[in-house]
Amino acid sequence: MRIPGPLQFALLTIAAYLVLKAPGLVVQAPVPSSLVTLYMFFAVVVILLAMTATEAGTERLFGPVRRLFAEPGRERTRYTVVFAVAAAAALITYANLRPSYEAPVLARTVHPAPPRTMDAYGRTFDLSTLENPLRRLEKDDPQRFEEYVRQGGTIYFRNCFFCHGPKLDGRGHLAKGLDPAPLPFAGTDTIAQLSESYLFWRIVKGGRGLPEESRPALSSMPAWEGYLKEDEVWKVILFLYEYTGNTPRRWKEEKG
Amino acid sequence: MKRGAAFLMVLVLLLLPGMPRAEAGDPARGRRIYERLCWWCHGEDGFGDGPASEYLSPPPRDLTDGTYKFRSTPFDEFFPGDDDIFRVIKHGLAGTAMPGWGDVLDDDGIWDLVAFLKELAAMEPVGKASVEYGAQPRPGRESIERGRELFEDRCSECHGMRGRGDTSKRLRDDWGFTTWPRNLTKGWTFRAGSTPRDIFRRITTGIPGTQMPSFDDPTSRKRLDIGERWDVANYVASLNAPYKEPKGERLIRAVRVDTDLPETVDDVLWEKAPYTSLYTTAQLVEDERLYMPTIDSLSVKALYNQRELALLVEWDDPTKSVPGDRKARRIAGGEPFRDAMAVEFPVGTDPEEGLPYFGMGESNAPVSIWHWRGESATGPQEISLLYARGPGDTVERSAEDSGLFARGEYRDGTWRVVVKRPLATADPSRDVQFKAGGTVPVAFALWDGSNFDRGSKHVMTGWSWLRLEPEAGRGVFVWSAAVFVAVLVMEIIWMRSMKRG
Repeated sequence: MRIPGPLQFALLTIAAYLVLKAPGLVVQAPVPSSLVTLYMFFAVVVILLAMTATEAGTERLFGPVRRLFAEPGRERTRYTVVFAVAAAAALITYANLRPSYEAPVLARTVHPAPPRTMDAYGRTFDLSTLENPLRRLEKDDPQRFEEYVRQGGTIYFRNCFFCHGPKLDGRGHLAKGLDPAPLPFAGTDTIAQLSESYLFWRIVKGGRGLPEESRPALSSMPAWEGYLKEDEVWKVILFLYEYTGNTPRRWKEEKG
Repeated sequence: MKRGAAFLMVLVLLLLPGMPRAEAGDPARGRRIYERLCWWCHGEDGFGDGPASEYLSPPPRDLTDGTYKFRSTPFDEFFPGDDDIFRVIKHGLAGTAMPGWGDVLDDDGIWDLVAFLKELAAMEPVGKASVEYGAQPRPGRESIERGRELFEDRCSECHGMRGRGDTSKRLRDDWGFTTWPRNLTKGWTFRAGSTPRDIFRRITTGIPGTQMPSFDDPTSRKRLDIGERWDVANYVASLNAPYKEPKGERLIRAVRVDTDLPETVDDVLWEKAPYTSLYTTAQLVEDERLYMPTIDSLSVKALYNQRELALLVEWDDPTKSVPGDRKARRIAGGEPFRDAMAVEFPVGTDPEEGLPYFGMGESNAPVSIWHWRGESATGPQEISLLYARGPGDTVERSAEDSGLFARGEYRDGTWRVVVKRPLATADPSRDVQFKAGGTVPVAFALWDGSNFDRGSKHVMTGWSWLRLEPEAGRGVFVWSAAVFVAVLVMEIIWMRSMKRG
């Protein structure tokens, strides 16, 4: 037996709503309610379009409604439906007007575009061409490279690991409750997608150095230019890539 | 026959993970894993002296002498069981810098490490693999009550009368590091589990290397028999206070009342407001940093009436830090600073446009700070009012003029501080203004004077929101009724037109 058209419409609409609500219920990452309203509008339009694409479909969806109101002898059901629709409208109004307990959501760009240049260590760096000066040792002097990676690790475990974690997964023992959470480096979806100059900028300038579109600047990342020397920052960057088995993104190769 | 073999296979697979397999582990492979993952904290030779070690409390274990804190072998065995070491590596120790490595290493890799660590400390096989559990009694009211009496007699000297870790003496481990007795109301911070069985095991084995003794030791005057240890375990498990565990909420709901707001922490009026609990994180952004915090969370309530707003800020602190007090000095191991608490609000900027930096604001985005300090031996509690545009740019203003009031009380390991202020003040450019139905950003900071927290050495929260919950009012119901009638009328008109059509 096929399910009646109106019921199918209701089920599809409820399913769309559940999909939008799922991130909030399952992984505590709710979709903002204004977005839910917007997407639900499109979902309902699409469902209606799909169901009324053919004459038969239209009849299947609206036929039962028409019959309910046209055929004699179904007064009780008819008035129940009329009353239910009005009551639902009143409930929705109430739910929207009553005081809400949601914290405001502030939009923020997580990986903002870096500036072209950056002033630090008494110089100006051109971030579009900047390379890790120690990177070439990987081929030229593997033994020294290895030594620098180890030094980078030591710097990491004296300065960074409290928040970014001993597994480099962004879950350090002092990072609980930080919002935004510290960036994980392990895995292939963070530093593997970034160039070394981007990391240099983020480490040197920290949360306070984030551009306007990343405001509100709630990041707890210190500006490390006051605490680490330039070559120390480059060594840490070597370590982050080596330890996680990632390779930095390089613009030159992609162009060539 | 075939089915029998398959059944046997399944049985073996089911049993395998629970069985000690260190014999199968390869210490040479374990060493290579150690040299890659572990030495940063535990040191190149395992003495617990890696590059990170000086920033950690509790410090990384010295792995060379075989002393393991969390184990299931009885107190008269010197060494832990293989599966004890395995468990710590795989699942980590909650509330410490030791993470669970189960997502990085497979079980074979962990057994390799176990084999290496046993070799490192020249461990001998243990005679008794596990403590005796006896029959676990039901955690009923009588058992808990018996446990409470035993606890207050044997345990409260270090863990405090209410189990909040408010010790009456300074504790140090065998290596000379300061240790803080566990706050037993925060089950989620227990290193190796918080079920009654986990707690029973801890009471029975003690924590080697620390002042937590074994209560199974027949030479101890404090010895408890198996039944008594279960009673204490049941009582300790009952102390867990889930409301203190932050759930990721960012909204503090200020509830409206029609009476005068409370000025004491015990006022029954506070029961009208719900707690919101927040993690506090150590200040690691600017020098001077705090690496070893003693406070990990706080809980807040808020009330308001037509004139004023009151906050109740509550946090567990193992010590009441009173400078000039002999007992406080003895516990801290030096002259403590005052305990302190601060509440911060943005002023003069629109929160919708962006928030000031939570660490004392910025030059173009100032904050207002209510800074409360506990008493010293010679002076009373104080509240001061600060206007800050960054850590280096602070102006102190008169707290009295803006009507700010604060009173704190320390009891059994918990500070509770009431802060109260009129909703509106005469200086809206430098004071936060509250109004019914409004939402303002708020952040908190805490100092434990016995941990020598002072100035920038403190724990803090990021921005949360304080919402002065409006009363639903009649408007909501009027509008809902109006919509009901309007929709009904439209439907009737539509039905009539259908009949005519």
